[in-house]
Amino acid sequence: MAYTVDARGLSCPQPVLLARKALEKNDEVVILVDDNTAAENVKRLAANMGFIVDEELKGGETHIRINKGGACSLAQEVISRQGPVVVVLSCDTMGRGEEVLGGVLMKSFLHTLTQTTPMPDIMILFNTGVRLAVKGSEVLDDLDALMKAGVKILACGTCLNYLSLKEKLAIGEVSNMYDIAQTMLTAGRIVQV
Amino acid sequence: MSTVSYVVFLFESVSAVLVAEKALKDMGITCKLIPVPKQLSSDCGVCIRVESDDQLRVEQALADKVKVLAIHPLS
Repeated sequence: MAYTVDARGLSCPQPVLLARKALEKNDEVVILVDDNTAAENVKRLAANMGFIVDEELKGGETHIRINKGGACSLAQEVISRQGPVVVVLSCDTMGRGEEVLGGVLMKSFLHTLTQTTPMPDIMILFNTGVRLAVKGSEVLDDLDALMKAGVKILACGTCLNYLSLKEKLAIGEVSNMYDIAQTMLTAGRIVQV
Repeated sequence: MSTVSYVVFLFESVSAVLVAEKALKDMGITCKLIPVPKQLSSDCGVCIRVESDDQLRVEQALADKVKVLAIHPLS
């Protein structure tokens, strides 16, 4: 059922504000305006949010029907893109096919991360990726710099266990599949190399 | 606390960089493989960073092992 907003007699920015408020809680909203500028602004608001807009002219009034439709998921996506930036390292080398090259690239990448903004919020290491954070790893100084800059580093416990590296973890916290899955699902953006 | 100053050694190829890295590690000289700084350029994209104080030692260590293209201070 459409929710109706009577914005007749109101001038900007009232109609737009009332429209936005109504759209927060309703999937279908009809707004009545009798001001051309207000009509334009309301239509633009709806279009920017990716909603379906229909208008009907009745006498001196404009009836604008806004439907969230499938665009609801677009709005959701915009919201979730505001989550943390997560870098996932599923291997201690970058790319596949040439191991030595992969090692060079990973060292390069991690060093570059320390000099690039914005920095990731969280880094997840699993499978051989955990090797990067253990004693003897050549990238400990870069991981340390990242941690000091506020990046959270999570190393998969199962992987450390399997590779017999648990006691050798030098940087970061031991994590588990629940936390790792949760972190990835609530991420705004995932960068996987 | 004084900050360390570095120089970077540039080479012709990635394999040359790796030869250099190994040679320096074998001699116990601290070095780090990093991307070539933006203001410099090199085909292979990576280079070796060492402390400025070690520059001469590094040059000697690499003399008969791999050709050094250039040495630049790191700003």
